[in-house]
Amino acid sequence: MAYEALDFYDIDSLLTDEERMVRDMVRDWVDEKILPNIEKACHDGVFPDEWRVDLGEMGILGAPLEGYGCPGLSYIAYGLICQELERGDSGVRSFASVQGSLAMYPIWDFGSEEQKNHYLPKMTTGEWIGCFGLTEPDYGSNPGDMITRAEDKGDYYLLNGAKMWITNGTIADLAVVWAKLDGVIRGFIVEKDDPGFTAPEMTGKHSLKASVTSELVFQDCKIPKDRMLPHVKGLKGPFSCLNNARYGISWGAVGAAQSCFSSAREYALSRIQFDHPIASFQLVQNKLAWMLREITKAQLLAYHLGKKKDEGTWIPEHISLAKMNNVDIALDVARMARDIHGANGILDEYPVMRHMANLESVKTYEGTHDIHNLILGRYITGIQAFTRES
Amino acid sequence: MGIAVLLKQVPDTTAKISVSGDRVDETAVSKWSMSPYDEYALEAALQLKEAGGGDIVAITCGPIRATKMLTDAAAVGVDNLILIQDEGVTDSTHVQSLLAAAVKRSGSDVVLCGKQAADTNGGSTGPGVSHLIGAACVGMISEVYAEGDGFIALRASPTGNERVEVSRPCLFTFDKGATELRRPNVRGIMMAKKKQIETVTSDDLGVAIGTSSVSLQSHSPPPVKPPGQKFEGADSVPVVVAKLRDEANVI
Repeated sequence: MAYEALDFYDIDSLLTDEERMVRDMVRDWVDEKILPNIEKACHDGVFPDEWRVDLGEMGILGAPLEGYGCPGLSYIAYGLICQELERGDSGVRSFASVQGSLAMYPIWDFGSEEQKNHYLPKMTTGEWIGCFGLTEPDYGSNPGDMITRAEDKGDYYLLNGAKMWITNGTIADLAVVWAKLDGVIRGFIVEKDDPGFTAPEMTGKHSLKASVTSELVFQDCKIPKDRMLPHVKGLKGPFSCLNNARYGISWGAVGAAQSCFSSAREYALSRIQFDHPIASFQLVQNKLAWMLREITKAQLLAYHLGKKKDEGTWIPEHISLAKMNNVDIALDVARMARDIHGANGILDEYPVMRHMANLESVKTYEGTHDIHNLILGRYITGIQAFTRES
Repeated sequence: MGIAVLLKQVPDTTAKISVSGDRVDETAVSKWSMSPYDEYALEAALQLKEAGGGDIVAITCGPIRATKMLTDAAAVGVDNLILIQDEGVTDSTHVQSLLAAAVKRSGSDVVLCGKQAADTNGGSTGPGVSHLIGAACVGMISEVYAEGDGFIALRASPTGNERVEVSRPCLFTFDKGATELRRPNVRGIMMAKKKQIETVTSDDLGVAIGTSSVSLQSHSPPPVKPPGQKFEGADSVPVVVAKLRDEANVI
């Protein structure tokens, strides 16, 4: 049976032909390449290189960026790409988010002309993989207190410190690393062969198993002077990247939820207990109705936010709301779908438990659920509640 | 060299078909797609172009909704798009006349299409068009490549594979091809968006659509399968064996 995405309010009719075609292209690719192979990739703990090649060939990496060989699609199209990829697996969407929003975007927005010309064309084709180093072992929600330092040594910069929870780190050709230079956060491009740089893979994850997660270690890492991003200082740099990635996640979560809903509906219709399909029982219908309700609301949030991104009328708090809400409901949808599947829900024959485990990470990364609530709390009251000081 | 590929938009093979009155209810079809055998023809056309150059024109005879399929074809590399408004034509000889006129007008000397459409399974379009344009027709092929001024087509037969050599003008109908239709990419989609679709009528093509010699009487859904039979216990073995032998003819 072909996948029919839940689209109760006909969001499809709001899309342009181009957006629909891009969405269908990615949807078909997910059906063909991800779904038949994702469980093995998760079991083996690898991100198959073939997926990188395909993502590059489809031309969707760095989707909303223009110039330097980048696609120049609308933010709605970028959102749809994330939705379809995450319908497959959050790890696949994570790969694309990190490459496009966290590695390509800062070079595109804050890089020198030479940096853009050098890196972006090879990153949009997937030839070079990028990663993004902000979080540290001791500084997650509070990146401003990061320890990683850069020193100006005249002919070069010397980096020291460590980053953690870095998607794509071990397989990356380059890392956009945020470090303090004379106490000010600056962005640096570190290449995989730079002396003093290693990226060991983190193992033992119960979530995002098909995605590579790494540490980045800088031990007297020497990098040339022309690798600093010249046009941004302070937390604005990494936060601009995160805004774009979080925007994509708000769509991605919808994709994961649609997948769980679709599986739960199908299962409920075919599973017979007490002589009737369990879909005919009120308690199950109530769950399915709740899923439909929350997914529809999440779709409308994501779509409207996409419009605001395309119009340039968004504020970061809009993104916080959508990321926080959509991942939250997607995780609940996944748990409820697992419940409807009964014991079968824990098997890899169905996608629900995998989505559920993935979404636990998605809830935490790119600004935890609680941090986004604090961002909204500050917006509402004008009082920051991240720390007791100030 | 001009390459023409004839495409038809049909209900997706996964779409549910319902019959209302005595006709298939087209409004109830949830998804329309390019007919799968036409996809093989299109992929072969793209490969011919890559190997030897020439523009590809995709021609369809159908309603406005078929423009989506043409744009999809443009996204994978078709150069020109023609929609012949079907004006309610259901007679396959009329469709063939319209397609043949559009092929002639395009100046193409090699034509590719599916061996049959996935909805009607008629299989008459390719041979009919080849007859009208005076081209050799090689049917049910899986692969084609240019050699010299002509082509070599490969066709599976019960006794092995046939290699058929043919000169221009020629028409190929495709069975399941060797290569699935390629996936588009963003660049192709962006180009396709800008591509004009030329919409023509029978008048534009100078084809007089007379009265139909064939008329479709009715559609009906396949008969409902009788329910399965259930047998329990060792006593039923002779009955089951007898049924398998005499009714199902499987032993």
